[in-house]
Amino acid sequence: MEDGKLTRVPMIAMTVLRVAIGWHFLYEGIAKLTSPAWSAAGYLKQARGPFADLFKGLAGNPDLLANADLITMWGLTLVGTLLILGLFTRLATLGGIGFILLFYLCNPPFVGYFYSIPTEGSYLIVNKNLVELCALVVILVTGSGRFAGLDVFLHRWFGRRTKPAAA
Amino acid sequence: MDRDRTDGGLLIERRGELGDVRRFSHEAMATVFEVHLAHPDERYAAQAAQAAFELVDRLERELSRFLPNSDIARVNHLAAGGTTQVSPSAMECLVIARHVFDLTGGAFDVSIGTGLPSLELDPDDSMVRATTDGVRIDLGGIGKGYAVDLMAEQLGEWGLEKALVHGGFSSVLALEAPEGVDGWPLTLSDPGSPSRVLARLSVRQMALGASGLRKGDHIVDPYTGEPARGCRAAWVAVPRPDTARHEARSEGRPRIAAAAVADALTTAFMLMSPEEIETLCERNPGLEAWVFPEPDDGRPGDASLLHFGDSASGYTSTSL
Amino acid sequence: MAGENEKDKGTPKAGAAGPRKLDRREVLTGLSTVPALGLFGYAWNKQRQYQQAKAEAAAAPAEAPKDLQVINVALLGAGAQGQVLTDAMLRIPGLRFRAVCDIWAEYNQKRVVNSLAKFKHEVRGYEDYREMLDKEKEIDAVVIASPDFWHAQHAVDCLKAGKHVYCEKEMSNTLEGARSMVAAARETGKLLQIGHQRRSNPRYLHCYEKLLREAKLLGRVVTVSGQWNRAVAPDLGAPARYAIPDARLTQYGFKDMHQFRNWRWYKGKGGGPIVDLGSHQIDIYSWFLGANPTGVMASGGLLYHDPATHEWYDTVMAVYDFETPMGKVKASYQTQTTNGSQGYFENFMGDQGTLLLSESEVYGAKLYRDPNAPAWDTWVQNGYVSAPKIQEIKEKTEGVTDVRESVSPDEHKVSVVLRDPYHQPHLQNFFNAVRGKAKLNCPPEVAYESAVAVLKVNEAIEAGSRLSFKPEDFRI
Repeated sequence: MEDGKLTRVPMIAMTVLRVAIGWHFLYEGIAKLTSPAWSAAGYLKQARGPFADLFKGLAGNPDLLANADLITMWGLTLVGTLLILGLFTRLATLGGIGFILLFYLCNPPFVGYFYSIPTEGSYLIVNKNLVELCALVVILVTGSGRFAGLDVFLHRWFGRRTKPAAA
Repeated sequence: MDRDRTDGGLLIERRGELGDVRRFSHEAMATVFEVHLAHPDERYAAQAAQAAFELVDRLERELSRFLPNSDIARVNHLAAGGTTQVSPSAMECLVIARHVFDLTGGAFDVSIGTGLPSLELDPDDSMVRATTDGVRIDLGGIGKGYAVDLMAEQLGEWGLEKALVHGGFSSVLALEAPEGVDGWPLTLSDPGSPSRVLARLSVRQMALGASGLRKGDHIVDPYTGEPARGCRAAWVAVPRPDTARHEARSEGRPRIAAAAVADALTTAFMLMSPEEIETLCERNPGLEAWVFPEPDDGRPGDASLLHFGDSASGYTSTSL
Repeated sequence: MAGENEKDKGTPKAGAAGPRKLDRREVLTGLSTVPALGLFGYAWNKQRQYQQAKAEAAAAPAEAPKDLQVINVALLGAGAQGQVLTDAMLRIPGLRFRAVCDIWAEYNQKRVVNSLAKFKHEVRGYEDYREMLDKEKEIDAVVIASPDFWHAQHAVDCLKAGKHVYCEKEMSNTLEGARSMVAAARETGKLLQIGHQRRSNPRYLHCYEKLLREAKLLGRVVTVSGQWNRAVAPDLGAPARYAIPDARLTQYGFKDMHQFRNWRWYKGKGGGPIVDLGSHQIDIYSWFLGANPTGVMASGGLLYHDPATHEWYDTVMAVYDFETPMGKVKASYQTQTTNGSQGYFENFMGDQGTLLLSESEVYGAKLYRDPNAPAWDTWVQNGYVSAPKIQEIKEKTEGVTDVRESVSPDEHKVSVVLRDPYHQPHLQNFFNAVRGKAKLNCPPEVAYESAVAVLKVNEAIEAGSRLSFKPEDFRI
């Protein structure tokens, strides 16, 4: 992983990308935390695609749903904060990838599917979720946190390992 | 939730004995209200019916969430901490709605999950206070019944006691019966095949609510987004208390709105299982309910009518 | 996008032989993205403030200040309109009801007394308004909703008794009556507001002040049309057990219970539908056009209802001529009581656009820009009208443009919404004027001009020819 490091200018660009995605996640998370009675139920009930039943089942189970809501709200906030700060970047990136993957699968723009939630733009298989997911993968493999982020300190203080544990 | 309801297969049986009963109709609240009056003076009866319909129109102006300057529209625009004054009728409707919400464990919910309990109701000052954002009230499941109650009361002021009032047949209030019969003759039928009569009733001083689905329709459960496993049709009878019959309004005594409660209960019944309905009837003596359940295997036509509660309605079942 | 970025001068050493100590450069790069969080917090805070401001603007208006001067109010006329006004007044802070007067003591009077009592107004009921004026010394204002033929006497007596008066339209069923009201208001110096409530309706005010006067969106208005159509309804009746004794009916000018309930249809009492309904909208014509009519011709008749109980016309069509600062205008108006198609509205048509409006909150106001007119973008941007809902362009048939139909103009809405009962703003305007905080939107001189225009229609139908107005006709 460490050998995937790029030269300076690309790393700066990577950092900008990382902070941008982090900002997006952080706002999504905080907006849900501060809106009264937000629940993923609305989005889940509109699920399409091969996993639709799974998502709808989640929406129908109040206990699971409550947990899912909490995880989503706090998870997005946490991932966002960590990405902006460049702390535990690898972990945060993986978390972000996980979230977006779930959102994407819940409403995938496959051939012949139409959203009931109106969206802007025209998408076929590739939509903005998928693009953001790919961007996170790029961040993952280029270790931006260790370039410009609090991981600099983590890395320095806790030394170099072949498989870094925390980040 | 309310939009799929039909008249629920509750009809007046047209029989020769009904004599000089006159019928007047008026469109309001997205349905047709009717007043059936047994009275020798056609003109007086027409004027009384017209006055009753003007009352319905006034109520619609206060209660409809589609009119931007109705009381309910103002309530729906309250931010957390905001208050608004509503008319006494709107307040009464909200109080009854809250009562039935508690009675049915939340199955009857005029706020459709947006937080009815978070509204503070002050009947003395006729003020409504919102404690959170986003509460949206829709009185569609109770408004017709309430209008029917007020209409019947007003007809009483005009001296017209032999009357039957209904709103789209989903909310019916029978006052005294016409000459020659003990009660107004009503039938319950399968809303999917209306010619099939399931039961006959003979009612007086009683409110009835009816709720039913057309063939192939489903009511969507707001919690799961899936079709509700409830009933295909449900009816409830609530006796009209004696106090309602006097000039309650001019004497300032509170009304007991039987038709409003009946309307609300049948809306709730569509989301409740037959067992839950039976329990409710056991806990509230005086209520009578009929349920035409959704057959388990989805095939219509094989279910039989279930009956709960005291039998004050002169109910006779028809053999199936 | 993201905030602080790294202005790095050094190359990132890929952890090779990383010493435990950090040099300044590395510290800087490490902390470089932290300020982004700060920027986020700042932006987030701004967003919250904005949302809060929006919520406050949308929330119910502030509670009445504690030192609001209380106005003591009496209601004179507790029929259908009196009850509508009372419902609106109960929502206006700072009013205390003292008395209700209505000759129908057994029914309407009692009903309103009781409904006021529910809101903790202890009121006394009267049958004779003179007795009420004698006995109730503390009344500041009287709201009059009695039949039209009583308006003049009621208003004049109340003004002379030192009360401010809000009187329902039509001002009076005769011009003499209306003149006496204007004179009494002038002599006593008390306020008199006539109940043309659209003059205080926020949407109407917006359309007049912003769209017509300021933006001149319609260009030159040349024609106006308006109507109030009502479906057939039986005559008003009354509960048999509450019938008023004949002696009392006669005392107050009614020949029987039927006339008491249906006075609007009788000559000498009301003016029929053209006065009941038309007076509102014809008032709007003069207001919006900024001129009084120069002539009117009208055709009307009793086409449907029973002549034994209806003396006035049930169907009326009238055409007014106006000379406005922008040029001549012809305005038609129709009222009928046999069919309710399209209800009530006023339609102002200019060479650059059309304004279709109605008091009904469901209908609101719609504007259509003529395709040849200059764009309305500035007015959309500052919120005077909404962004247009674009109508579909008709498809070309067989490659040849179908020229018989023009493209439908885009529809703009006016986003001013009234959340209160219809009469509340006008009553509020009256009470604010009583407190010295506002000017009346419909003072007696203005209402007199309307009365002249409206009452002429029945005359014109009678005459069967076009009648002219002279400017002096509108002045007192």
